[in-house]
Amino acid sequence: MTAPDVILEVQDLHVRFPIYGGIIPRKKSEVRAVDGVSLTLHRGKTIGLVGESGCGKTTVGRAIVNILRAMNYRVDIEGKVLYHHADGVVDLLSLGQRQMRKYRSDLQMVFQDPYSSLNPRMTVGAIIEEPLRIHTKQSKAERKERVRWLLEKVRLSPAHAARYPHEFSGGQRQRIGIARALATNPKIVIADEPVSALDVSIQAQVINLMQDLQEEFGLSYIFVSHDLSVVRHISDYICVMSRGKIVEAGPADDVYSRPQHEYTQTLLAAVPRPDPDRRIKRRA
Amino acid sequence: MTQADPEQSISKVAADTAVVAHEWQQVPGVPTQPASESILRKRFRKFRRIRRGYWSFLLILGLYLASFLCPYLMNGTAWLVRYEGQFYLPTFTYYQASTFGQELFGEPDYRALKEQFEKENAGNWVLMPLYPYGPNEALLDLPGSPPHAPSWEHPLGTDDRGRDILVRLAYGFNISLTFALLVLLIADGTGVMIGAALGFFGGKLDLLGQRFIEIWSSLPFLYTIIIISSVVVPVYIPGRMQVLQPSFWLLIVILAAFEWMAITYYIRGEFYREKSRDYVAAAIVTGVSQPAIMFRHILPNSMTPLISFAPFTIVANIGALVALDFLGFGLPAPTPSWGELIGQGMENLTKWWLVFFPLGALFSTLLLVVFIGEAVREAFDPKEYSRLR
Repeated sequence: MTAPDVILEVQDLHVRFPIYGGIIPRKKSEVRAVDGVSLTLHRGKTIGLVGESGCGKTTVGRAIVNILRAMNYRVDIEGKVLYHHADGVVDLLSLGQRQMRKYRSDLQMVFQDPYSSLNPRMTVGAIIEEPLRIHTKQSKAERKERVRWLLEKVRLSPAHAARYPHEFSGGQRQRIGIARALATNPKIVIADEPVSALDVSIQAQVINLMQDLQEEFGLSYIFVSHDLSVVRHISDYICVMSRGKIVEAGPADDVYSRPQHEYTQTLLAAVPRPDPDRRIKRRA
Repeated sequence: MTQADPEQSISKVAADTAVVAHEWQQVPGVPTQPASESILRKRFRKFRRIRRGYWSFLLILGLYLASFLCPYLMNGTAWLVRYEGQFYLPTFTYYQASTFGQELFGEPDYRALKEQFEKENAGNWVLMPLYPYGPNEALLDLPGSPPHAPSWEHPLGTDDRGRDILVRLAYGFNISLTFALLVLLIADGTGVMIGAALGFFGGKLDLLGQRFIEIWSSLPFLYTIIIISSVVVPVYIPGRMQVLQPSFWLLIVILAAFEWMAITYYIRGEFYREKSRDYVAAAIVTGVSQPAIMFRHILPNSMTPLISFAPFTIVANIGALVALDFLGFGLPAPTPSWGELIGQGMENLTKWWLVFFPLGALFSTLLLVVFIGEAVREAFDPKEYSRLR
């Protein structure tokens, strides 16, 4: 069996989007977004999931939180996402939305685009409060207090709760997204390219914030990104994905310093470097 | 808003260096930020700045609210009667003519009563509404034969049955707008429900729903309504208000049944687009229930077509009711309606007041509502700079 500190296991995950066509619509072909991915996430650790755009890494993240079926009615999913919670193991993929609800507070997600991931019609306070309203029995005052506390945790002002998302910069919005994800004390946070929409200086803030929060709350992250340097900084373990498959996996430093697979080497070579001499050497 | 120095490398930057917006407010000399405002409120503020539309809105709203007081302001029934030391409130209670010693059957003629009391000067008096003529009163005692030309007593004249046109226009205004608003409400309500379901759930439901809408919208509206109106005989329930006559509701339902498709398509499109956005994914991850996602998250983001089409739908509804009344398939006979008056105008083209005033009332109402619509559309336009300001 698995080690006791395993919190999430993805076993042989396949996600396929069928393509329909013809006068009488029928399945013509399919896109294999994820083609046999397996992962093991340990408590308090971070897995970095890297790969070029379109390689299926976002889909893996969305499959783990089991929102693919709710977002898109035509999708074939196979495999298992085993969540090890206090009372046992449950396969999240086999759950419907209603059964899934009680695990929702343990698994949260931070989204790539801080501009579309916050509902523009809701105040920041209402956005962060919503998970509390659903998953806890807190009173209104307790929820307000918790929202204030969360805003401070992500280094925003409690006064910001009354504001609307359009009044914030990208980095601040992403921190609001993180506050929402943390509201219910999750155990696992899937971060789907949380910094790729931000410029470099703000990336650093957000990533450092996420690391601080990980230490403070013992979170486990699955950190999806196409940017190897960012992933290396935060991850304990890196999985490199290409065309729906994991082509290389291992401890972060190993993958980074001794890439085995050809694709990883290409990916690493693509990372921009401030030192031109070194870059030329790499190419040669 | 400044962020940390961009030249520092990722690992060195402490997130504490982030400067948050509120700290700027404490910097002397920097003006404090205005209070937070929802998008809807911002748009309403923009709407108020478009003066023509805003004033049209206030005017229509005021007139509409005032028109609910029509039974008390414009009526042949007295407000208060003092007769033989007792007070009577005929607006709220029905009295026989004999109560006040009038030799008539049914309702007393309060105007005649007032004249009589004034002549007698015996301490009895009658307090009439400001404009003492009812909408269904045939004023056959006027000199000449109806329609009577405008006079001081009746500034807009009377129709071919001797009923005061001003009163009928005022009551008709209330009925027209109430009708238009109710049709809008039912049609938009249905349209939003169905459009939301089609856009949100998609798939076979969407496919079948769209085909049904295509078939349904190809039914000729006018013929259908004429057939139904000629088959269903209006039932008059005694003692009820005219508005509650079944035929009024029947017309509303029929009209709404042919109108919900337009908004359905827009709402479907909006839901389809909004559903793929990340805040919906975030709501699903949070565990928000489907109805709450649809109506608390997506719908507030899909209100733009609903609100910006509403005034124009109202124009269309008023027009539709006028057209049906004009053709004689609308509201049952004694109801004061604009279409019926316009129909009279066509039959009596030489009586200019029968043509001019009803058409004028219709035209100015529609114009004002179009002004509102124009301003609303402008206020909801995401483009910053535009024509109307």
